[in-house]
Amino acid sequence: MSKTKFNRFFYDHLLNLLLPLLAVLAALLVGALILWVQGVDPWEAYKAMFLGAFGSKNGLADTLVKSVPLMLVGLGIAIAFRGGVINIGAEGQLITGALFVTFLGVTFGEKAPGAVGILLLLFAGALMGGLWGAIPGWLKAQLGVNEILSTIMMNAIAIQIGYYLLRGPMIDPAELAAGTNIPHSARLPKNLDMARFTDMAKALGFTKRAKELGIEGYAGQLYGVLVEPTRLHIGFLFAILMAILVYIFLWRTTIGYKIRAVGLNRQAARYAGINVKRNMVLSMTLSGAFAGLAGAVEILGLHHRMFEPTSVSAGYGFTGIVAALFGGLHPLGIIPSSILFGGLLVGGDKMQRAMQIPQVLITAILGLIVLFVVSTDFFKRKLQTRRISEEAETFFEKETGAGEEASA
Amino acid sequence: MKKRYLLLSLLLIVALTLVACGGNAATKAPKPEPTKSSEAHPTKASEPPVASGEKFRVAVVLPSTITDMAWSQALIDSLKRIQEKMGGEDKMEIAYTENMWNVTDAASAIRDYADGGYNLVIAHGTQYGASLFEIAPDFPDTSFAWGTATDTGKDKGVENVFAYEARAEQGGFVLGVLASALDKTGVLGVVGPVEAGDAKLYIDGFAAGAKYDKPDVKVNISYTGSFGDTALAAEAANTHISAGADVLTGSAQQVVGAIGVAKEKGVLWIGTQSDQSSLAPDTVVASQIYVWDGPFQDMINKHMSGVMGGETYALTLENGGLVLKYADWADKDAVAKAEQVKQMIVDGDLNVMDVIEGKAAPAMSGDEVSTGATRFEYPAEIKPVRIVMVLPSTITDLSWSQSLYDSVKDLQDHYGKDVIDFAYTENMWNVTDAAAALRDYADSGYDIVIAHGAQYGDTLFELAPDYPDTSFAWGTTTNFGADEGVTNVFAYEPRADQGGYVLGVIAAKLTKSGVVGVVGPIDAGDAKLHVDGFVAGVHATKPDAKVNISFTGNFGDTSLAAEAANTQISAGADVLTGSAQQVVGAIGVAKDKGVPWLGIQGDQSSVAPDTVVATDLYDWRPTILAMIQARSGGVLGGKVLQLTLANGGQRMIYSDKLPADVVEAAKAAEKGIIDGSIEIKAEPR
Amino acid sequence: MTQELTFAVIIIGILHSGIRLATPYLYAGLGEMFDQRAGVLNLGVDGIMLMGAFFGFYAVYQTGNAWLGVAAAVLVGIVMGLLMAVVSISFQAEQGISGIGLYMFGLGLSSLLFKTMLGTVEGVQGFSELKFQITQNFSLYDIPIIGPIFFNHSVLTYGAFLLVPISAYVLNKTTWGLKIKAAGQNPEAADSLGVNVTTVRYMTVILGAALAGLAGASLSISLLNIFQENMTNGMGFIAVALVYFGSWRPYGVLAGALLFSTVNALQLWAQVLNLPIPSDVAVMLPYLLTIIALAMPFRRAAQPAALTRPFTRGDN
Repeated sequence: MSKTKFNRFFYDHLLNLLLPLLAVLAALLVGALILWVQGVDPWEAYKAMFLGAFGSKNGLADTLVKSVPLMLVGLGIAIAFRGGVINIGAEGQLITGALFVTFLGVTFGEKAPGAVGILLLLFAGALMGGLWGAIPGWLKAQLGVNEILSTIMMNAIAIQIGYYLLRGPMIDPAELAAGTNIPHSARLPKNLDMARFTDMAKALGFTKRAKELGIEGYAGQLYGVLVEPTRLHIGFLFAILMAILVYIFLWRTTIGYKIRAVGLNRQAARYAGINVKRNMVLSMTLSGAFAGLAGAVEILGLHHRMFEPTSVSAGYGFTGIVAALFGGLHPLGIIPSSILFGGLLVGGDKMQRAMQIPQVLITAILGLIVLFVVSTDFFKRKLQTRRISEEAETFFEKETGAGEEASA
Repeated sequence: MKKRYLLLSLLLIVALTLVACGGNAATKAPKPEPTKSSEAHPTKASEPPVASGEKFRVAVVLPSTITDMAWSQALIDSLKRIQEKMGGEDKMEIAYTENMWNVTDAASAIRDYADGGYNLVIAHGTQYGASLFEIAPDFPDTSFAWGTATDTGKDKGVENVFAYEARAEQGGFVLGVLASALDKTGVLGVVGPVEAGDAKLYIDGFAAGAKYDKPDVKVNISYTGSFGDTALAAEAANTHISAGADVLTGSAQQVVGAIGVAKEKGVLWIGTQSDQSSLAPDTVVASQIYVWDGPFQDMINKHMSGVMGGETYALTLENGGLVLKYADWADKDAVAKAEQVKQMIVDGDLNVMDVIEGKAAPAMSGDEVSTGATRFEYPAEIKPVRIVMVLPSTITDLSWSQSLYDSVKDLQDHYGKDVIDFAYTENMWNVTDAAAALRDYADSGYDIVIAHGAQYGDTLFELAPDYPDTSFAWGTTTNFGADEGVTNVFAYEPRADQGGYVLGVIAAKLTKSGVVGVVGPIDAGDAKLHVDGFVAGVHATKPDAKVNISFTGNFGDTSLAAEAANTQISAGADVLTGSAQQVVGAIGVAKDKGVPWLGIQGDQSSVAPDTVVATDLYDWRPTILAMIQARSGGVLGGKVLQLTLANGGQRMIYSDKLPADVVEAAKAAEKGIIDGSIEIKAEPR
Repeated sequence: MTQELTFAVIIIGILHSGIRLATPYLYAGLGEMFDQRAGVLNLGVDGIMLMGAFFGFYAVYQTGNAWLGVAAAVLVGIVMGLLMAVVSISFQAEQGISGIGLYMFGLGLSSLLFKTMLGTVEGVQGFSELKFQITQNFSLYDIPIIGPIFFNHSVLTYGAFLLVPISAYVLNKTTWGLKIKAAGQNPEAADSLGVNVTTVRYMTVILGAALAGLAGASLSISLLNIFQENMTNGMGFIAVALVYFGSWRPYGVLAGALLFSTVNALQLWAQVLNLPIPSDVAVMLPYLLTIIALAMPFRRAAQPAALTRPFTRGDN
């Protein structure tokens, strides 16, 4: 490999990996310091974290389960960002989607045949979330109301609507009967449960456990995740499918192109004859739809009933933003970044359990990781600038006849 | 541009999985430790074994001198008594190194002793722990001991280390009572070394004891910042006396300076650690003496029988490790008072740690009006159990989560870590995370898995069949899974309307404006029950009183709760109540405005002791014990456990700020609820 | 002391609460306004507030001096601001993410410090409410209606309101204000006119964070006099929203903060007065009204052109 080629490879690809990795290491190092001050062995703690997220069948399954809402919310965030609007309202959109799905499922669920019912409900969740996202989109386009403001406010409104419904019209009748009055809904009929991986494996004839087959180590673990009973549900595949669809939508369709054009340069898009306002509402609506979809999948795949709103939304509206930006706001990038973030969250919890570290310490360390990693952009750019100038030099040498690889 | 993040994510996942792969074999879910069943109180000294002919060799590394009249001397005195019992120097050898304040030096001393073939090497200082755990594995045939500590290194795989501690707060408490009984000026002085270890325990106990006897006594505490600075300790004693103190105490070897001053100025001195009366017989009115005989005799016995370590010892008043010695000229009444308190501690009626932490209401004597409520008693013996809790908020929320945590912690403090082993995860408001935690805990072999929130139920019913030997519990609910065919799930439910009713009676009695206010979180669950009962209680007592109810729509919005309290007060309310962790904000406002607060769930008096006049405390101990005992009987679940006033699951705490007639009315209400003559009916809201 | 619940009492109650509750929003909102005017979006306000709340509380807890609490809160705000500035300005990080990172860091660290250094919720004697005693028998508080509304607040509340005209003056009448606006509107042009954009942005981010720290302290040592984990409960995010509400103008932020907190006071009264509104609906009122108010057809200023855009000197 020639020097130039290596340089280009180094600065374009290797650097992309090395710098953020160093940043994560640096953040973990600072975190280790805090852990050490707290009298916790950092090495043990981090080991517990990594193993908790990826080192066991259930840990890995939990990580994947957690990545589903992150992925779906993240896709919505990406569409909004690409369309030039900022959606901090995924929290509320997720809640309204989940509420609507629960309402329909509990009311009409018995009559719906399984698969069709699930598909309809997924659509309903997306519809409701989309509606909740369309409101701030419309307010921005028509009345100039800033979407950061309106989405933050609408999160609070969605939470209170949730409480109102769950305390009143939608409360589980059993709660009223028992007098405990916990604000959650009745369980959705079981025919509306999304299949778990283990159910699918069973249907395909895989019934034996890894131990029985003598598969050990990581292969056994993977096999376990796919076949043995875990909480991993088909929503994971659905989310990945959605990521691919969003990719196709944004890069291979005219509407997608228009959305991106508006996001890249509003003025230019307007001159090009694109209806900027309509596309802003559209991207906000789609963004909300994906958050609503996340709510629907959480209900159908995981919870099977609606709990207190914040217990279900669980901050995904914010962690989803981080996951989306880590994934480069690229639908396919969001897949691994959601899994990574899911892992960090699951591993962090595990660390708490394994070491009895206050959970807040993990929050602080996660914050550090985010801060450190976003800081690396700068160094990368700096180093790449240097590459460009170096290349310019070699180019100049070539032009003057000194270069040997002109023909290569 | 943004591709970098994508690649980063991919790479990290690869890296993480590799790490995970590599470590996979090494880590296993923690297995339940083999718990000893019979020896719950290992400090009881057993008889020395028949001399086996071999000389038993003990080496001690001491931070100060063996004549320090304090920490080091107490140990050496004990070892000498053991030596005598065992048959003199021929049977037992004692070697020691003094003044090992330098840890590096101490480490080499420890290693040298172990190398020299000593049977038991004692590192008599917390600071030696790190070195000890490095050295111990190299000498598997030697027993090591260190203190003050509770860590025997079991989880590090070390098996030949004993740990010991002195529960100095117990004696400190009794001596605090004595001091305030002897005191005439209303001021006590404490000369502490460094605010840590047994010195801190002792001083905390002392201050709490003094206040227990006389709430308005002033306890001035000064720390010299060192153990050996006698001059500074003397100066501190002088200062205390100038500030009006007429009884002094203090700890560590530095105190000899202070005792000198006390003698000179004619004030009384109370000693700890070692018997300090020899220094100034007419000044030292009492001492708490550490008697290490029991623990070390037991270590020697264990070593001889082949058990090299792994045991933790604690000196307490109960097991005779802490001995109180009073001068024979000491005031008899004061000593009697102190002895009475000591007996309460020994009997378990008074938990000093609770008083220090402000959990138990400090009251010297109260005539208990019988309400028919079950008084909580610790069963003499329970089966060792491993409990784990998944909590929606934090263990410091002063309400829902903390009440459970405190109860389990209290049981552990009483029975010891060997009997009650527990873990918890807090802030699990996210159901998905909670589910992962629950499954994980069930997988790690815990006996009782408590999911402390109604939102966790579905997860439990999914899990329970997979772990038939584990008991699960959740609440607030009455559903233990009969429909699902599950038999190992307990349901629990605090009948908050009961305590709420009693609080309502108090509110009605206290209000002058005829308006009382409620600052609730969300009108659901036990918060709703509380309000229902509260309203009923108010109206039963004062039908024309108004109860204004506001909900913040949130469990954690402290400032909104504060503002709600402000609003209530502006609207004329002169008594307030409320629930969930948000209420600390409201209590702060109540304190500012001088309005009494009626608490529920946790004991909130730490925020404003004068404002929180009554509390309906959720006492989970009977519930937990009910589960443990059901398990002993082979019943793993299938029951609804209610927390009621009758079964002691709800405990009313009345502050001494409450007028006597109000307390009487409240107790009458308690009685009525318990015997069924009062029926609580929720009014439509 | 039975008090008749007259209309006047209720109005006084609502307005008094509204003014007091506006305090933290004002500090945090005005600080954030400066940040955004200079072109930096700081989403980490809530985390900084929590750190300020803890350190302010802890200082008072240890020393009993409320002013030391203010100093501690401002100091820790400056440190947090410096961190944000380094990450967002020097390292040119994506501001939306770095703010969330800062928020998580502040939330986690303040709770951790609380757990290890205090462990339990306790009260302190912070700032109390001033009554403006003029002579022996007369205080401004005694003036009917006006007195109980305006002359019954702590010094930190007055400070917050005083900060509004000061901010307006700094922003509109001083060279530094001009530089801030230039840095946020057109950094390249500002640079060519000799304004050091990086320095200006550093200063404003640190100033904004110091004010956010103060906002936290106003909760923990003036309004509530306690500290509890996550006690801001998302107030910092509301403060960011109020900056948008106020169109990046001090008086606009004031209007937003007053509207939001007064409606909040109103809904609490609505509950107390037993109006037939479900509590949940009452609670969502301030959020709803804030959106509606902003949807009213008034002329609004556009956001600073260079908001969230990093600036590199000498490129292109």
